[in-house]
Amino acid sequence: MAFGFSRRRRDPWPVQRGGISAWLRDHGRAALETLNFVSRRLGTSLLVWLLVGIALALPAGLYLLQVNLTAVGGAWEGRPGVSIYFDHGADPKLADALGERLQAQPGVALVERITPAEALEQFQAFGGLQDALDLVEDNPLPLSLRVVLSPAATADDLVTILRLAERADDVDEVVVEKTWLERVGQLSSLVRRLGSMLALLFGVGAVLVTASSVRLAIEARLEEVRVMKLVGASDAQLRRPFLYFGAYYGVGGAVVAAMLLSLALIVIEPPLTALLASYDQPLKTRGFDPTFLIVTLSIGLILGVTGALFAARGRLNRLDAL
Amino acid sequence: MGTIQFQQVSKRFENGQEALKSVNLTFESGSMTFLTGHSGAGKSTFLKLLLCIDRPSRGQLLVNDVNISKLSARRLPHYRRHVGAVFQDHHLLAERTVFENVAIPLRVAGMADRDIGRRVRAALTRVGLLSKERRYPAQLSTGEQQRVGIARAVATRPNILIADEPTGNLDPELSRDIMALFKQFNQVGTTVIVASHDLALIETMGERVIELAEGSVVRDDDPRGGVVPKPSASWDSDVHPAVVEAAR
Repeated sequence: MAFGFSRRRRDPWPVQRGGISAWLRDHGRAALETLNFVSRRLGTSLLVWLLVGIALALPAGLYLLQVNLTAVGGAWEGRPGVSIYFDHGADPKLADALGERLQAQPGVALVERITPAEALEQFQAFGGLQDALDLVEDNPLPLSLRVVLSPAATADDLVTILRLAERADDVDEVVVEKTWLERVGQLSSLVRRLGSMLALLFGVGAVLVTASSVRLAIEARLEEVRVMKLVGASDAQLRRPFLYFGAYYGVGGAVVAAMLLSLALIVIEPPLTALLASYDQPLKTRGFDPTFLIVTLSIGLILGVTGALFAARGRLNRLDAL
Repeated sequence: MGTIQFQQVSKRFENGQEALKSVNLTFESGSMTFLTGHSGAGKSTFLKLLLCIDRPSRGQLLVNDVNISKLSARRLPHYRRHVGAVFQDHHLLAERTVFENVAIPLRVAGMADRDIGRRVRAALTRVGLLSKERRYPAQLSTGEQQRVGIARAVATRPNILIADEPTGNLDPELSRDIMALFKQFNQVGTTVIVASHDLALIETMGERVIELAEGSVVRDDDPRGGVVPKPSASWDSDVHPAVVEAAR
C-alpha cells in the first residue's frame, strides 16, 4: 500500500523522507510562488525594498566613508611632512638655501620647493574654488617648501627641522602635517563607531521592516496556510514561502542600498577625486568593490530571512488548521 | 487501513461547555458512517478531534491503534496526509485554478509534477470535473466547488475521509450526488465519516448512522450489522489512463 503502511506496522504514519529531490522541489516551488506573489504586489514590494534599502545604505555608506578616511590617513602616515610657508615676495634663493640645509638633516627624505604658480595649480585642482580665486587679481599663495620625512625620522629630528625652519629668514609659518593626520585618524574612528552604532540600529530596523511586511503577507495568505496545514504540511513547509519573502525583501533592499550608494558616489566623486589628487592620492574612491557588494547582499539576505523567521514563528505557530 | 476507536473520549472547552461526553465508538477500516444530530450536538468537535485540530480533554482516540492526541508536532502533519477532509465551506483558494487547488496536498506530500498531474486528473475525473481544471473556483457552481473540495480531499488517496456538512449549501438532488460520491470513495476501502443534519437523505443511504445529542451517542444503527464489505473498486478502476491523457 502507498505511504509504506505495510512496511512499518508499528508506525502507521511514518515521517516521510522524500529525500533531497523532494526537498529541492519544495524549495523551488516556494521560491517561484513567492516571486510571483511579490511581483504581483509590486507597489508594496517597492516600498519595502526602499525602506530596507535606506536602512542598509546609511551604515554601509558610513563604512565606505571610514574606509576612505583610513586610506587617506594611511597613505599620509607613510610619509608625514612639514610645510614651510615664506612671506610674500620672499627671495626664492633663501628658500633654496634653507632647502639644502634641511636636505642635509638626518631624517629628511626629500625637500620639494613649491612655487606660488605650482601651488595655485594644485589649489585649483580642489574644484569649486575657482570662483574664489577669480576674485583675487594676484596669486595669493606663497612660496613654500615641503619636507618629506623618511620613515626612520625620530621626534628629535622633527624638532630640529622645525627649529631650523622657524629661525630661517622670511619664513611666515611652519605647519606639521601630523596634526592633520591625527584629525583624520580621529575622524575615521568617530565615523567607525558611529557606523557600528547605526549599523546595529538600522539592522534591527531592517529586520523589523521585513518582519512586519512578511506578517502582512502571512495575513494575506492565511487561508492558504490553513489549507496547507490541514492537508499535512510540516512547519518547515508552512514557513518556507515566507522565508523566501524575507529573502526577496532583504536582497531587494540590499540592491536598492547599493544603488543609493553608487548614486551618492557619482555625486561626490568629482570633488573627492580632485581633493585626493591635490594630495597626490590615487584618483579612486575605495571600498565600493565586488566584495563590498556581495557582503551587502548577504547582510540583506540574512536580515530579511531573520525578520521573516520572527514573523513566521510568531504567527504560524498560533495558527490552527481551519 | 483506517480503524478509528473513540475510548471514553470527552471534550470540555475552556468556557466549560462539554462538547463530547465519554464517547465510545469504533469505526472499522473501510466502513462508512453518517454522523447526525442538531447543531451543537458535537458533530464538528468529533471531526476536529479526528483531524487533531482539537485534542480530547479525557479519554483516548486511537487510529490504527495509535493514540493520535499524543502525536508529536513533527509527526502530526504526516498523520494528516492520510486523512482527507471536506467542509461545508469548501475552503478553495480563489486565486488558484481547480487543478492547482486539488494539487495542494500532493505538493505538500512532495510528489513530482508529472505524478501530481496524473493524480489530480484522476481525482477530477472521479468527481466529474476534468473538463474544468483550468477554471477558477468563482467560475464554478456551488455544487461543483464542493466537488473540487472533495477531489482535493481524495487526491492523496487517504485511508480516512471525513466530511463536515458537505451538502449544507446544496439542493436535495445535488446533495444526493455528493453523498453518492462519498459512497464511491468508500468502495475503494477508505473509511468514510460524513457529518450531516440531513436525516432524510442519510436514512436512504443504507449505511451506519450515529446520532449525537448534547455530546452523547443517542443512536447507533448499522443496517450492515457491523460487517464491512470488501472494497469493490480500486482507486484507478474508473479512471482509465487514456482518459487522463486525453484530457491534457
